[in-house]
Amino acid sequence: MGLGRAWHHRLHPSAVRMTQAEIKLCSLLLQEHFGEIVEKIGTYLIRTGTQPLRIIVNDTGLLLDQVKKALCVLIQHNLVTYQVQKRGFVEYEAQCKRVLRILRYPRYIYTAKTLYNDTGELIVEELLLNGKMTMSAVVRKVADRLTETMEDGKTMDYADVSNTFVRLADTHFVQRCPQVPETPETPEAPPPPAPTLVINEKDMYIVPRLNLVGKGKRRRSCDEDENGERKAKKQKQDGESSEPPPDDGIYWQVNIDRFHQHFRDQGIVSAVANRMDQTSSEIVRTMLRMSEVTTTSSAPHTQPLSSNEIFRSLPAGYNIGKQVLDQYLTLLADDPLEFVGKSGDSGGGMYTVNLHKALASLATATLESIVEERFGSRCARIFRLLLRKKHLEQKQVEDFAMIPAKEAKDMLYKMLSENFVSLQEIPKTPDHAPSRTFYLYTVNVPASARMLLHRCYKSVANLMERRQYETKENKRLLEKSQRVEAILASMQATGAEETQLQEIEEMITAPERQQLETLKRNVNKIDASETQVDETIFVLESFIESTVKRP
Amino acid sequence: MAGRARGRGRGQMTFNVEAVGIAKGDALPPPTLQPSPLFPPLEHRAAPLPGGEEGEYMLALKQELRGAMKGLPYFVKPGAPRRDIERYSDKYQVSSPVDSAIDWNPDWRRLPRELKIRVRRLRKGREWTTILIPKCKQRVALDKDEAIKKLESLEKKEEEVTSEEEEEKEEEEEGKEEEEEEYDEEEHEEETDYIMSYFDNGEDFGADSDDNMDEAVY
Repeated sequence: MGLGRAWHHRLHPSAVRMTQAEIKLCSLLLQEHFGEIVEKIGTYLIRTGTQPLRIIVNDTGLLLDQVKKALCVLIQHNLVTYQVQKRGFVEYEAQCKRVLRILRYPRYIYTAKTLYNDTGELIVEELLLNGKMTMSAVVRKVADRLTETMEDGKTMDYADVSNTFVRLADTHFVQRCPQVPETPETPEAPPPPAPTLVINEKDMYIVPRLNLVGKGKRRRSCDEDENGERKAKKQKQDGESSEPPPDDGIYWQVNIDRFHQHFRDQGIVSAVANRMDQTSSEIVRTMLRMSEVTTTSSAPHTQPLSSNEIFRSLPAGYNIGKQVLDQYLTLLADDPLEFVGKSGDSGGGMYTVNLHKALASLATATLESIVEERFGSRCARIFRLLLRKKHLEQKQVEDFAMIPAKEAKDMLYKMLSENFVSLQEIPKTPDHAPSRTFYLYTVNVPASARMLLHRCYKSVANLMERRQYETKENKRLLEKSQRVEAILASMQATGAEETQLQEIEEMITAPERQQLETLKRNVNKIDASETQVDETIFVLESFIESTVKRP
Repeated sequence: MAGRARGRGRGQMTFNVEAVGIAKGDALPPPTLQPSPLFPPLEHRAAPLPGGEEGEYMLALKQELRGAMKGLPYFVKPGAPRRDIERYSDKYQVSSPVDSAIDWNPDWRRLPRELKIRVRRLRKGREWTTILIPKCKQRVALDKDEAIKKLESLEKKEEEVTSEEEEEKEEEEEGKEEEEEEYDEEEHEEETDYIMSYFDNGEDFGADSDDNMDEAVY
């Protein structure tokens, strides 16, 4: 080990910020979706920070070609970025936070479905599965997939898919990737070891003018006209791939920040609906919708909107009078949770949605809910008391919560030991003598949120490991079951008799069927739990991010 | 300090314990001598998972995605272990691609040049977008230090001088491989008399349990 390599082994500052729990979870996600080789390299980069290719090969012990393949995959999926250093070599850096987002892919896809139906759903799904694609490639693929699901004879038109794509771009749910610059400034100079990709903010959502004409194609099953079909299909494929597509070099990716903004807005609207009523929540939803493209993702509150503007923008079905609207707005602004704030009197009253305060409320509600579920409702009462009163002595907690001393003490210590509450010392005298010091219980919301977030990462990692273990334990049975399914399917296709089919089905015994049922139930439960924990991760991360002061 | 004055009743602390609520005469809990249990008993049961259409759909999506990604070329599989003996069945085994080729076609213009690998052709007649030199094969074992810089500059020189020669060599190799690939493809795509999923090369013999001996094993 020469001196020259030592500095690469020092932990990179960004790597230090990643906890073991996050690294473990990233590792599991990479392994499950990209395999062990990509996982090894991804995890290595997350742990050690930015590295050049040769160091990666050396330290991971993998073959050069394996490392190259893995890096290509990771870069394609926006999980690793590269940078050309001044000395002329390229360094690669993993994006740990982005790896964690793999857990949220189903939520992004489902959201696209609710907003833009099956077409939107498949567009987002293809972009997530492939990392980045040209619009023409997405349209073609999605048209084919949709055609598969349609009745015989019907096909999906490219134009319909294009329209949905344009809508996704207009509302910023998909965005253009940074591009290779068009012409090098000095054509005579040798090409750089890696391109520096750039994009103009204003170009990020501009859809290229394409004339995509065509319809989706159905995949034929291998039967009759196989030979004739195959030749024709191959010719078509050759034709398609021999010319560069009209939007060559213009790639698109999912804009996950926009989805997060949508989730946040959903959370706020839902909270208002629970706390107040449907009409209040619709007003807030309208305000958020009006602010979608005018508010940056990290803004503490939306741009002020006048009551008149809000009135004009209410959805068509809502027939509330202007005065009623004003009353609702006043109520919302007066609510102690401060989701809505009044910032002026012009235009009938200027109102904003206090995004950061709302995120804090959502996070706090999450904390309360967890305390309630983990420790019981009396602990939850103490917790809420501390949130309201900020600092309380032991005796005060007993009195305000109306809980006997012994039990209150027990509960406080339990919450203290798990870092939901903390003790603060207030000395009465300058010598900080213990007998003359106040010991106050308090809840530090950002600290507790961080602690809980860390637990969430661990939980998901545990869930994934257990799920993989369950699947592995039953591997043989699962494979047998899959083989039987395959046999049944092919037999049904060739028109086998009922008795023959039953014979095959009976290859799986009743106890085995039971085992498979149990396995399926367990795996489903664990999968659903992972999704559930990711919802909590989203709330806590959004809140913590909002507390970090940006320069 | 805590354990020293054991003779005089309970251990004494540096601060007034009454301030945190430990009354006089209360027994302190015993010291913890081991790490907390791995599966502590649950005092309260977890709340049930939210079901409903949304939950069901997301669950299906999650599982489908997992399955789909395993089949995509981005899922880089490790090389198959080398068999000790060449078997006839190897030709019919659907094994994962091992060698130094990538199974999908990245846009090489967007990637660092050092990452370029040969793109594997999946179908006959599919156009090669790039024929590239698998560089650096010999360099893996070299010790790094400041030789990195030297190697980078050597690489640049090598590339300019020998790229043409190597391209020709590659094309020759490709020609040979094409024949092999052709052969393999015909074997696979033609309807063989044997259905692949039925084929069992006997390696698992004896590993299975002997429970259902009277049933046919496919």
